[in-house]
Amino acid sequence: MEEHNQKTVIKVKELVTHYGSRKILDGVNLDVKKNEIMVIMGGSGSGKSTLLRHVLGLNSATSGSIEILGTEITTANQKKLYQLRRNMGVAFQGGALFGSMTVGENVELPLREHTNLDEKTMRIMVRMKLEVMNLAGVEALMPSELSGGMVKRAALARAVIMDPTLLFFDEPSAGLDPVVSAELDELIILLRNAMNMTIVVVTHELESAFKIADRITILDEGKIIITDTVENIRNSNLTQVQDMLNRRPRQKELDTEAYLDRLTGDRLQ
Amino acid sequence: MRNFVEKTGRETIYYVEHAGMMTIFLCSCLIRIFTRPFQLRAIIKQLHFIGAKSVFIIIVAGSFTGMVLGLQGYYVLQRFGSLDMIGSAVALSLIRELGPVLAALMVVGRAGSAICAEIGIMRTTEQIDALECMGIHPYKYLMVPKFIAAIISLPLLTCLFDVMGILGGYFAAVVLFGVNEGSYFQGMYSSVVWADIEMGLIKSFVFGLIIVWVATAKGFFLHLDRSGAFGAEGVSRITTKAVVLSSVAILGSDYLISAILL
Amino acid sequence: MKCEISTRGIYTVIALQGEVDLHYSPQAREPILTCLKKKQNVLVDLSAVTYIDSSGVASLVEGYQEAKSSGVKFGLVGVSKAALQVLQLARLDKVFSIYDSVENLLAN
Repeated sequence: MEEHNQKTVIKVKELVTHYGSRKILDGVNLDVKKNEIMVIMGGSGSGKSTLLRHVLGLNSATSGSIEILGTEITTANQKKLYQLRRNMGVAFQGGALFGSMTVGENVELPLREHTNLDEKTMRIMVRMKLEVMNLAGVEALMPSELSGGMVKRAALARAVIMDPTLLFFDEPSAGLDPVVSAELDELIILLRNAMNMTIVVVTHELESAFKIADRITILDEGKIIITDTVENIRNSNLTQVQDMLNRRPRQKELDTEAYLDRLTGDRLQ
Repeated sequence: MRNFVEKTGRETIYYVEHAGMMTIFLCSCLIRIFTRPFQLRAIIKQLHFIGAKSVFIIIVAGSFTGMVLGLQGYYVLQRFGSLDMIGSAVALSLIRELGPVLAALMVVGRAGSAICAEIGIMRTTEQIDALECMGIHPYKYLMVPKFIAAIISLPLLTCLFDVMGILGGYFAAVVLFGVNEGSYFQGMYSSVVWADIEMGLIKSFVFGLIIVWVATAKGFFLHLDRSGAFGAEGVSRITTKAVVLSSVAILGSDYLISAILL
Repeated sequence: MKCEISTRGIYTVIALQGEVDLHYSPQAREPILTCLKKKQNVLVDLSAVTYIDSSGVASLVEGYQEAKSSGVKFGLVGVSKAALQVLQLARLDKVFSIYDSVENLLAN
């Protein structure tokens, strides 16, 4: 992939956000280029899911800016944001399928709400997407009747039903066995290649990240440690990166004073 | 002492903020009732859920309420020798007070709790986020059909409750205690005026609004609730709160409406 | 999006131009189905199509099914690489009759 002269489709600048008084994101800068697969990695609590929610416009930040397809979303009004979201597909971690509708109706929902297509065209589109996701024949089932892997694929089908230019996938491999998650990785690459999508994947799975990513961003405690190509990340000298690659638990200097304080101090500080 | 002031301040701010949020929520939902598209299918589905499925419980509750009124009315009025008043006593108390209030409380227990839990679960499982990300406004898509359905079905359910109550009262007073049938109904004809029925309908309309408002808003803002609970425990906690709050709000607003209209 | 209809030999050629997306695909679907309902052999020329999404492809699938049931021919010509990828994604490249040009088809 040529990394130069490519249009930036997502531009996050100096994003800072708090939850209560706790700082979750601390000056995050991130560029995602057109047609690339960007994987955002980090352990639990590193802020990667929060970053995703901000990019989707679901949370509002303390400061900083987020530009998507040329639209600044931190200041955009609701109408503009909703307009923009038609170009964005999102597959949530738990699938977020609507329990009161069949899988087919779930996948069809965005079309029904946003387009005036013929019933038959919509039906064919839904079935085509389900075929691509290897979900032929589950159209009439309820989400509760699907397995974990099927739920994720159905969610992916719903996310791409409008042929979005941007696709976000939260934790594709969470809670799945390695075979099923490898299938999902294949699907992600396939979608990028065939439909020219820009894909942002949030995950903590190393193998999957290395397989699908063009570039990887590693977050730790709300800060970006490194954003680079897979190759460069592997060869990085940064200890935090190496710790992560070698699955070493984080080594922190033990401040004995503070530690003693934590153990014996008042509960309410 | 400082702790007390601090806590009081925090509580006050929380409640004012919460009330403001709920009010803005209500206004946004109400405005969206009048915007296109009008989701007829979703409204019918909600009418079925809130209205049709409550019919049985309303019939049962209405009949028993009427029977109790007939029974109590019979013993009390007998003491004063004014048994011919029993028809109007049953009808007036049902139409003005008991019908709207009890029907609304029944619907809170049956539909309000279910709505709150449904929305709450949708919040915790990211379904509401998914809707927003699909460019579908959750107020319009989820809340508006419920508001419309409740506003339509509550007055109808109240009417059903009133009718069943009057029949129940008839059963107790006339069939069981042998009160004269003519005087039972004649009392009603002569004492119930349109203003009574109007009051009942206004109440049931407002109660319908309160039920859906509290249920949907509590579920929708689950993640902002002070208890900080999420997941299954959060849903159960919030549903309890919604039922208690809407029941109290129904009784409170019942007094207010009565005071204003009288 | 534009749509031109011409007759070449036994075929009615429907040439689509520009972007066939969610918004415009009904305008492509309509003439295709109309021609097929009149029992005409239809070729859809995609060579001037800059972008086709799955609603466009779904319309083509609909056309293909209509052609099958009314026993007429239905084919695609001038399928660009991008369009082919969209077809391949749903393994539809194996379903449709795809020709490189109208001339070659008529010559055979």
